Amino acid sequence: MRPITLDPRTKLAMIFGVSFIVMVNAVTPLEWAIRIAITMIPILLMISEGKYAAAFRFSLLYGIALLLLKCFLSSESTGFLSAMLLGYCGIIAQFMPAMITAWYVIRTTKIGEFMSAMQKMHVPDGIAVSLAVVMRFFPTLKEEYSAISDAMRMRGIAFGGGKVSKMIEYRMIPLLFSCVSIGEELSAAAVTRGLGAPMKRTSPYELRLKAADWIIFGIFALFVGLFVAVKYLR
Amino acid sequence: MIEIKNVNFSYKGSLDAGLHDVSLQIHDGETVLLCGASGCGKTTILRLINGLIPHYYKGELSGSVNVSGKRIEQTELYELASIVGTVFQNPRSQFFSVDTDGEITFGTENIGIPPAEILRRKSDVTKEFALEPLLDKSLFALSGGEKQKIACASVSALMPEIMLLDEPSSNLDWNAIGELAEVIRKWKAQGKTIVISEHRLWYLKDLVDRVIFLENGVILHEWSRQEFAAMSASELSALGLRPVTLEEQYIREFSGDLAALHSAEPAVMCDNDILIRDLYFTYHPPKYVLWKKKLCAEHSADYTLAVPELRLPHASVIGLIGRNGAGKSTFLRCLCGLEKDCPVQMVLDGETAFGKRILKKRYMVMQDVNHQLFTDSVEAEVLLSMPDESPEKAQKLIDELGLSGYEQTHPMALSGGQKQRVAICSALAADAEILLFDEPTSGLDHKHMTMVAALLKSLAKRGKTVIVSTHDPELISLCCDRILCLEKGRVRYLRKV
Repeated sequence: MRPITLDPRTKLAMIFGVSFIVMVNAVTPLEWAIRIAITMIPILLMISEGKYAAAFRFSLLYGIALLLLKCFLSSESTGFLSAMLLGYCGIIAQFMPAMITAWYVIRTTKIGEFMSAMQKMHVPDGIAVSLAVVMRFFPTLKEEYSAISDAMRMRGIAFGGGKVSKMIEYRMIPLLFSCVSIGEELSAAAVTRGLGAPMKRTSPYELRLKAADWIIFGIFALFVGLFVAVKYLR
Repeated sequence: MIEIKNVNFSYKGSLDAGLHDVSLQIHDGETVLLCGASGCGKTTILRLINGLIPHYYKGELSGSVNVSGKRIEQTELYELASIVGTVFQNPRSQFFSVDTDGEITFGTENIGIPPAEILRRKSDVTKEFALEPLLDKSLFALSGGEKQKIACASVSALMPEIMLLDEPSSNLDWNAIGELAEVIRKWKAQGKTIVISEHRLWYLKDLVDRVIFLENGVILHEWSRQEFAAMSASELSALGLRPVTLEEQYIREFSGDLAALHSAEPAVMCDNDILIRDLYFTYHPPKYVLWKKKLCAEHSADYTLAVPELRLPHASVIGLIGRNGAGKSTFLRCLCGLEKDCPVQMVLDGETAFGKRILKKRYMVMQDVNHQLFTDSVEAEVLLSMPDESPEKAQKLIDELGLSGYEQTHPMALSGGQKQRVAICSALAADAEILLFDEPTSGLDHKHMTMVAALLKSLAKRGKTVIVSTHDPELISLCCDRILCLEKGRVRYLRKV
């Protein structure tokens, strides 16, 4: 399947739409229906990226979480097991869809496209550049973090020798040191290539909203509108 | 034309050496090499030319720097962007984008070049550096050599007349260095002025017009290409420089077919040999629905790394060589037990270890040691590794590794070499039998490299088995007993040096 290319602006709208609907508490069956329908979107996104197995696994987990929430758990449930289950369902049903959408957006958006989209939305360069750096830093953070985790496992202190405070300290201190030094070198490399010049930035990407973008905008407008209507305007 | 006149500089709030009364003229179209030990001021000179001093790195500056008729002090960095281009040492931290295309055009976008012109320049540099296969990829998926090529292209797209390169070969293998030399040759042919700061000198000897030698922030010597080429290995090493011709000779030997002739050495059979079995790993695991499939010999033809069986001699230093991407780092990670999917087994002193148990007996000193220093003092760092926290034993190790006096110092405040020794100290404290080093000498000058070599040898004397992955033929000649060569994730040969 050919991956669908979307405009960064559509992707941003998608993150906001999915997060809003999935995170807000759903009570009535109609609200649940909207929420489940919107969860299909991250699943479709995974499929469009060729992650069939992952999409299947997520759907399965999501199904189980829903079933558990519906049949066994209520706000009155107490006890260790139900607390654990509630935690699991919360993560799968409420956070995962938003996280998958964010993963998709970061994975498929080039920083150049993103900057150009920001410019079209008249976001000041300062903010756009900072956001771009954040996006650029995600993979770096991941690399650094996993290197540090490896080092901790090698030392046998992955769990801080039993102390939670140590566990966090050992992880965060090397991470902060390396991020600070990478950040410093990164900005030195960027300013020597003209970052921060007062002239207007240009971009070789020509962004135009295409049919796919309008369709997605339409779907989201419909769902979010409906959701707000049934939840708050009755 | 670059003109540096009577410059004194000292960094603010940092012990990094500055410059003392440095004067230097570089003419248009000249290629100049700056060499000398770490901290001699090579990088500082480059920062003067690209304006990072005084605009980014603060400090006390006197004297004057003029580049292409502009006074650097009064010129903004963005104005210099299209005059001076810089390629930095560390490919990890010089990229602004995540994708290759964006990185190539990044500079041109910043200074507001029209989109059509950006695209034209992008296709020009793509053709020039043969980057076609690298376009539209994630930068995080590229090898060190490929990253450095993209960095060169990104600078080239700004079409500056002056190119600065700050130890560009530190993380590159011999082939990638050859490609880098090719890029420099192209720039030279275009008439660009090139200034390179570098420890590894062999690949530049036919490219440079002039060589400048610095020590403690002072220019001590200046040679022409002919004078420099005529210098003997002993003269160079007296100055703490790496040999120029020796390295080429090793490279021919290690990477050429000559090596294949030696490969017929029979497997060493000793009782205390270390036996490694079933070392398989792949970056493209077979697709699975619910359960991961185990890696096994049967499908090993498709794997990134496959070493069915390997015997390594005990208490020796084994040099692990191979091109970038041959699987050296992954081999070390698997051996260390860090790759969970790798089913490796290890027989040591008649005992078979696998999985988590492997981690206990091995220790890897990573390329970036900063990742493995966790505590607030050297002593605490060593104690942390000990199963039974014995301060006397820790003190003994600290003394043996020449770190006495630094017990209470914060590890992050130490120099690179000292940090490396702290990491080795923790490894010894943890009673590790096999010590793995991932390119411990990349970016080190001659003096520090010989120190590392001596250290590795002393570890082998203690009865530890040392495996060191490296691109550094000098290190191999100084300390390795065996060479293990990997090619495309398979063992090509294991032989005596």
